[in-house]
Amino acid sequence: MARKDFLDIASLTREEVDHLLDQATPFKELFTRSVKKVPALKGKSVLTLFYEPSTRTHSSFEVAAKRLSADVIDLDVPHSSAVKGETVKDTVDTLQAMRADYIVVRHKMSGLPQAIARQTKASVINAGDGAHAHPTQALLDAFTLKEVFPSPAGKKVLIVGDILHSRVARSTSNLFLKLGVEVGFLGPGSLVPKLGPAGITRFTDFEEALKWGPDVVYLLRVQMERQDVPSFPGLQEYHRVYGVTQERFKQIQGEGTYIMHPGPVNRGVELCHEVMDYEHSLINQQVENGIAARMAVLYWLKPGTSEGEPQHETD
Amino acid sequence: MSLLFKGGKIAAEEGPLVPGDVLVVDGVITAVGKKLEAPKGVRVVDVTGRIVAPAMFDSHVHFREPGQEHKEDLAHGSEAAINGGVTGVVMMPNTSPAIDSAGVVRTLLDKAAEVSRIPVYTSGCITKGRAGTELAGIDGMRKLGVTMLTDDGDPVVDPALLKNAMEYATPFGMFFASHCEVPELAGPRALNEGKVSYELGIKGSPACSEEICMDRDIRLAHAAGAHVHIQHVSSALGMETIRWWKERGVRVTAEVSPHHLIFNEDDIGDYDTHYKMNPPLRTEEDNAALLAGLKEGVFDLIATDHAPHSEFEKSQDFVTAPNGITGLESALVSLFDRFVVPGEFGWDLLVKRYSAEPRRMMGLPAVPIEEGKPAELIVFDPAGETTFTREFMKSKSANTPFLDQTLKGSVDLVLLGNEILLERD
Amino acid sequence: MNAAAIGEAVATLVEKICATARRERVAIVGIRSRGDEVAERVCAALSKEGIEHDYGMIDISLYRDDLSHLAENPKLQSSEITFQMDGAHIILIDDVLFTGRTIRAALDALTDYGRPARIQLAILIDRGHREIPIQPDYVGATLETARMDHVLVRLKNTDGEDAVELVTNS
Repeated sequence: MARKDFLDIASLTREEVDHLLDQATPFKELFTRSVKKVPALKGKSVLTLFYEPSTRTHSSFEVAAKRLSADVIDLDVPHSSAVKGETVKDTVDTLQAMRADYIVVRHKMSGLPQAIARQTKASVINAGDGAHAHPTQALLDAFTLKEVFPSPAGKKVLIVGDILHSRVARSTSNLFLKLGVEVGFLGPGSLVPKLGPAGITRFTDFEEALKWGPDVVYLLRVQMERQDVPSFPGLQEYHRVYGVTQERFKQIQGEGTYIMHPGPVNRGVELCHEVMDYEHSLINQQVENGIAARMAVLYWLKPGTSEGEPQHETD
Repeated sequence: MSLLFKGGKIAAEEGPLVPGDVLVVDGVITAVGKKLEAPKGVRVVDVTGRIVAPAMFDSHVHFREPGQEHKEDLAHGSEAAINGGVTGVVMMPNTSPAIDSAGVVRTLLDKAAEVSRIPVYTSGCITKGRAGTELAGIDGMRKLGVTMLTDDGDPVVDPALLKNAMEYATPFGMFFASHCEVPELAGPRALNEGKVSYELGIKGSPACSEEICMDRDIRLAHAAGAHVHIQHVSSALGMETIRWWKERGVRVTAEVSPHHLIFNEDDIGDYDTHYKMNPPLRTEEDNAALLAGLKEGVFDLIATDHAPHSEFEKSQDFVTAPNGITGLESALVSLFDRFVVPGEFGWDLLVKRYSAEPRRMMGLPAVPIEEGKPAELIVFDPAGETTFTREFMKSKSANTPFLDQTLKGSVDLVLLGNEILLERD
Repeated sequence: MNAAAIGEAVATLVEKICATARRERVAIVGIRSRGDEVAERVCAALSKEGIEHDYGMIDISLYRDDLSHLAENPKLQSSEITFQMDGAHIILIDDVLFTGRTIRAALDALTDYGRPARIQLAILIDRGHREIPIQPDYVGATLETARMDHVLVRLKNTDGEDAVELVTNS
């Protein structure tokens, strides 16, 4: 059954996850054609609302929507100052008046896309809300993982970094767990939740974590701006303790372990620059897959539908 | 006016329900006993199968007046109280302007006398404008009958200032009510730090933020020789902190709210702002500990922290939406439904903790159903039901998790002195 | 129609297509689902005859003109076009021809792969009631139907058996 909104991973069933991952493949195949565009969303409008700056996710959504022939309207919203709560309803009313079919929203406030979704008929796609969720990132990560491991159940993925403030860690680990992947968290004690989700192995030492035998090391971007109170002493120390240093890279290379990163990469912090040319780095593949995954989501959602609406007869 | 309540069971703060009739003549209970005869001209109210109990008293409500009358005001708030079987309330001073001077108190009490059918009391601020820097006009407020001082909504961050306030106001016979939290630990004050805050991606307020401040305020009161009342305790360790100090003979009282007894962080679900309040809902273990604390007498009283907000305000995203839910209209029924029906506690506890003790804390006499006492009572139907629809509720706001839910029990009649304030068929 | 009748219809189709395919190299493209299975059978027959040809299949879901009327979009399947589309002689195959809208969508889909020299249409069963000007070049069988009837085609690899059922909707 189609959904109106795509807000988080937690509420997706295994069936829905499998469906979306399955659908990303035919969309990716389109990229090899001379015409990469299909008319599926012709006449529909996709509104992008990025209250937080983002180049990758923003352009990825834009390309995905355009390849589905939708009209893409980027609402120019202030990046620095958050939308005040008072104006959320006004914003929604404005969007309603513009008759957008899909609204892609990124905001630093966790739960804001949910609040918008409740008040509009348009399909709302969460492009990242605060530290809560980044469900299309999770989908492209899982799609990428499945390209190297068609049956990912039982594989081990080590997620490294600021787990506490990361919506990527939340959504991606959540989706990986749904696929039967074993997930490990590694990061500074002040940035790994003590009462996190069940079924995750926690590490505080990189060498110990590598002994666990991960098939993929997923590095999170260090975001100093998300920390109101200092949680670790500095970037150099971070690289030394929680980064893929040259020494650790040798070990990772020796094992053939895959590397993932949601981008953009801070060279010399999360990883040393040698990793970027590593044959088992999936970082660029993640970017390409982002478009296919987002096309699959746009194609799956049905704006303004409710269950029980009549299904029209078809040829 | 004379009334005879016939065939009911009478609730008191000690002991089980006792069958008995109650005769009220001109606002005074003139007889309590079995098979009372109705004198001529007395209206007989058949309360067979129903409970006659002292009316409730809520020592922690936000009536939003002055300044935020779109959420609540004296007229609607007091009617909401009556609707829930409550005949006396204490307002919190976090209004706009704050209730921090004799002028504001006088205006409010005059207004209340005009629009409210029940007595309305107000607390006063500890610091001017609740800003935490200068002391409020304490003596002026005292002269108008204010006894409770609080900056509720916020703690007094500076311990030296709070200690001075305590030392200054205690000789006037005033006491202090503390909203406990350490702002630096509390984050955006939206929800408990733990499993749910991680899932929802919002920085949570750890229970220790509340517990540290609570411990600090009790120590300060102890040092200053003051009486401190701890508001809306939400955690197991908070409850134990109060127990620990009480066992050492310190003058501390404490309250627990119905929502902290009934709900926990899991109820927030997908950012439901009707479960957002400060202090936040904590865990299922905390629910159990608070209930135990209430039964064991660690908590002196129940208070709702009735905190109305407009539908628009609560429809915002979880972080932006204001803290608080309404409680006056649902408190008694929800406590009955969730705890009395399954046998967790009886009417004696409800009467003691939600009627007698809060009145005593405010220096008022309790209102037992006894011969010679003024009539201030309710008739409650344990077999009835209440559906908390928008139409049912008298408050200006409907931000309650019980919205449109049906619970067991019904407040059928509220009598205050010589006036029937509420009578439902 | 039973399995034998379907076999006959396929044979008719094969015969006509063979005549073309002997003259020039064709690319057989089946429309998913079931058009691809008909196409596979045609290809098998061509191979048996020793006629070289290209084969592909396309999913036309993304090209349908009724997507905004559906409560749920159809599940997308992989398209497989491995030959060079530019200059190809395409024989497009589907199981049933009805309104013609599916074929319209398929034509759009095909031309997004390149510019074929020519596209012909082969249909296992023509049931009539066109809504757009599209006519087949090769037909296996024709079936008299009313507009609101349902024609249910089942094919062995897709559905486990060969059968065509006419469900009248009166």
